[in-house]
Amino acid sequence: MTATATPRHLTRVDAINWNRLQDEKDLEVWNRLTANFWLPEKVPLSNDVSAWNTLTEQEQTLTIRVFTGLTLLDTIQGTIGAPVLIEDAVTPHEEAVFTNISFMESVHARSYSSIFSTLCATRDVDDAYRWSEENTHLQHKAELILNRYRMDDPLMRKVASVFLESFLFYSGFYLPMYWASRGKLTNTADLIRLIIRDEAVHGYYIGYKFQQALAKESAERQQQIKDATFDLLLELYDNEVQYTESLYDDVGLTEEVKAFLHYNANKALMNLGYESLFPGAAESVNPAILAALSPGAEENHDFFSGSGSSYVIGRSERTEDEDWAF
Amino acid sequence: MLDDTVETTENTSSVELSRATQTLDYHALNAMLNLYDNEGRLQLQADREASRQYFLQHVNQNTVFFHSLAEKLEYLVAEDYYEKEVLDQYDFAFIKSLFERAYAVKFRFQSFLGAFKYYTSYTLKTFDGRRYLERFEDRVCMVALTLAQGDETVARQLMDEIIHGRFQPATPTFLNCGKKQRGELVSCFLLRIEDNMESIGRSINSALQLSKRGGGVAFLLSNIREAGAPIKHIENQSSGIIPIMKMLEDAFSYANQLGARQGAGAVYLNAHHPDILRFLDTKRENADEKIRIKTLSLGVVIPDITFELARRNEPMYLFSPYDVEKVYGKPFGDISVTEKYAEMVDDARIRKTKINARELFQTLAEVQFESGYPYVMFEDTVNRANPIAGRINMSNLCSEILQVNTPSDYDADLGYERIGEDISCNLGSLNIARTMDSSDFGATVETAIRGLTAVSEMSDIRSVPSIAEANKHSHAIGLGQMNLHGYLAREHIYYGSEEGLDFTNLYFYTVTYHALRASNQLAIERGVAFAGFADSDYASGVYFDKYTEQAWGPRTARVRELFDKAGIHIPSQNDWRELKASVMAHGLFNRNLQAVPPTGSISYINHSTSSIHPVVSKIEIRKEGKLGRVYYPAPYLNDDNQEYYQDAYEIGPEKIIDTYAEATRHVDQGLSLTLFFRDTATTRDINRAQIYAWRQGIKTLYYVRLRQAALEGTEVEGCVSCTL
Repeated sequence: MTATATPRHLTRVDAINWNRLQDEKDLEVWNRLTANFWLPEKVPLSNDVSAWNTLTEQEQTLTIRVFTGLTLLDTIQGTIGAPVLIEDAVTPHEEAVFTNISFMESVHARSYSSIFSTLCATRDVDDAYRWSEENTHLQHKAELILNRYRMDDPLMRKVASVFLESFLFYSGFYLPMYWASRGKLTNTADLIRLIIRDEAVHGYYIGYKFQQALAKESAERQQQIKDATFDLLLELYDNEVQYTESLYDDVGLTEEVKAFLHYNANKALMNLGYESLFPGAAESVNPAILAALSPGAEENHDFFSGSGSSYVIGRSERTEDEDWAF
Repeated sequence: MLDDTVETTENTSSVELSRATQTLDYHALNAMLNLYDNEGRLQLQADREASRQYFLQHVNQNTVFFHSLAEKLEYLVAEDYYEKEVLDQYDFAFIKSLFERAYAVKFRFQSFLGAFKYYTSYTLKTFDGRRYLERFEDRVCMVALTLAQGDETVARQLMDEIIHGRFQPATPTFLNCGKKQRGELVSCFLLRIEDNMESIGRSINSALQLSKRGGGVAFLLSNIREAGAPIKHIENQSSGIIPIMKMLEDAFSYANQLGARQGAGAVYLNAHHPDILRFLDTKRENADEKIRIKTLSLGVVIPDITFELARRNEPMYLFSPYDVEKVYGKPFGDISVTEKYAEMVDDARIRKTKINARELFQTLAEVQFESGYPYVMFEDTVNRANPIAGRINMSNLCSEILQVNTPSDYDADLGYERIGEDISCNLGSLNIARTMDSSDFGATVETAIRGLTAVSEMSDIRSVPSIAEANKHSHAIGLGQMNLHGYLAREHIYYGSEEGLDFTNLYFYTVTYHALRASNQLAIERGVAFAGFADSDYASGVYFDKYTEQAWGPRTARVRELFDKAGIHIPSQNDWRELKASVMAHGLFNRNLQAVPPTGSISYINHSTSSIHPVVSKIEIRKEGKLGRVYYPAPYLNDDNQEYYQDAYEIGPEKIIDTYAEATRHVDQGLSLTLFFRDTATTRDINRAQIYAWRQGIKTLYYVRLRQAALEGTEVEGCVSCTL
């Protein structure tokens, strides 16, 4: 590491040199993220219009609300979460990775609007946005995360960020996966799966940076952070349970969503390097949902090491004379 | 699993699990296929349980009950569900015996997906869509009764072949036969577009009409003048091919078969057409919305000369179709670019532009990376192997149909001045494993050929006269194959191994013999050969040289053993000489006989691996609009033979190409060949595979897929028609 003993911010601008890496992980993640680049226009959402019309009014309202909730989280992450992480970056490459993350979060937020404009009536969407402004659990969730982002503690900012990426999104992600396992809104599910693929890498990477930074702290401070982390998780969890109930009680899916929350809370803690909080969580998740998370043509839940989902940008390479020797 | 006392103790995770399993519905049980169990084993039993639960929880409760077959058939005819004419061809006693024979087989679906797919997409339902009126056996009998057209023996043979899973008609045939409210039995259409507004307008109309009837349609764009070409001698007027593609795309998404599925279309363009780069750019990720083509499939027609120019690293010239047609008096698509290349380069009357040949190949691969398209047709390879007089200038939505066509001319009122010949093809596939198990291999092939021929005879696509006309004269059919990988794995042979290649060659060799024999038999019975037979390599006997002048047999002991064990006679040179004499004397009834489609849906129902590809995964994830996510275990897979189920990405393009090359030399039309790459591949790897395929005599290439790729949803999932 070239940074000083307590690396906080990059103090001056150096021209970034990708051939001199302080941390190989930066390049690895950069490559993964850029290969995974996508835009919502890629997905033919309009093929879901007929499936959308088979949902009951109640189910449609639920779906729109879930997506407005997700939009709010992605907006926070794109405009505040990722930028504060840029400030905390300790290598220029890390900064670059966070600019990518920041941009993709905005793509995600934009994607929900694509879903809305393709499937729903404007009035219903406006109602849902109003609902999202008035839903106390959703607003409280945003407030809890924003508080951490405003604190002047890079470690807790990362913790908040990982909880958002790896945990808080999933009460929402559950629903499109559920529909897809029932043969409904399958193209929307494809789009969400692309988002999940991104968020999985984001959560992993931020968690990794957190662990790097934490290792440099004193044992005492490490304990403080750990306590604060679990406090935050429990606070978020309580709120998330209430949020889930407010959304899913009417359709009777609350129990299943909660099981899914446990599973993802464990994943978030794992990304931060901590032990699980909910034992046996994976077993109680509906297999149809768990299996639906896997993005590509083959299993694998570890999105990062496993190959991803349904779209990559290829590498160009010129053919040489030897290729044409016939 | 656990005794009762444990259940009352503290929650252990396995108790939770067993409880959870009890309450799981069939979706969840099926999904367990995609998750390993605690010991890292495949949960194949969960899928069987899913299939069982699907019947218990859903199918049995939603099937309309009848007291007797007579009551059932009377009701279905009276209520306009079944076609009365089909049943009227037979005595009721025979119909009853046929149904009894079918039910006695005790057919069971081998996977959840097979059952689910059948009941959601094929079986006859009440008009409100809520209850089932048919079981699988009923559907099979109705298909057999329809195709046999009153011939009891043929009906029995067809029923036997289908119910035992040896022969499986393509989706449109299997779905529609015997139903009163139905689409066409034939599935796949190829149409030319000529360089005039009447023809372009007609093509949009044909796209609508054929999509409405459930077909997949491919169009040839090579003849259309390029962007900037003159119209009525005024320069810079034409807008080229892209706006036509846009109109076709919209036509396809508008017309769908009773809402069941979207229309699907493809367009083919010659690599030396001036708009070729614009054509490819329509599939770019960041293409402008006005030119971006999302759901139309693209294909590029590549002549040998393009490879030769790329080899010499020379520029390649693109020729204006407008000028070419004026100079040669025929459309660009009917010219062999390889043959006329030097001449056209030197002809000042033909305007031309220049691009780098290697860069074209690289662009091709880049676009394939991003979208999986375009398909590729190796034009000269295709025409060299074509036994029929005329020229092949395009393929279809699944790149396996390769037939000659001729242009139509139109009156001012859009009527036909001269009806040309366009292409339709109906398909059906043999399950290789089951066919090898057949007690009479030759009869299985013959019955399949008869079934497919019946579809051609019963089809009359009046909305597109050029298709109806050609079908009447050609009786072109496409007998396909599936479950090659399943069969090889069952027999503990690796896909692409020496034994695997040997088997592929010998199997297709034997099928080809029997297919020709059956078509010859049909010509003898009907007393007529297909139109144009006299000008074909069959009539001159040249076609048979490769079989009469050299002996074909097993190259490995293992394959000899497989054929011996199955009791299958391998046709000798003498057999071929006799067949040749008979064909030259009596002709063939079918102008085209074989084409190997990608087989989607029907391979699940039939419990096969798709086509002659390797599996894409031991457990395949299938996403379809109506089904949602469903998981499909490879046929015959168990915990002990997993090593033989290397997936297509592990096997890599070369072995797949080698396998296809063995089959290609026996197949008169094409074979859908998808190339699979890991995401470490570059465009150069794709180009190398294409060069290798071309050199190995492959005729067409279908999708390019990357391990991360899939692009699920952006492509039209397979061909409406041939994805069977």
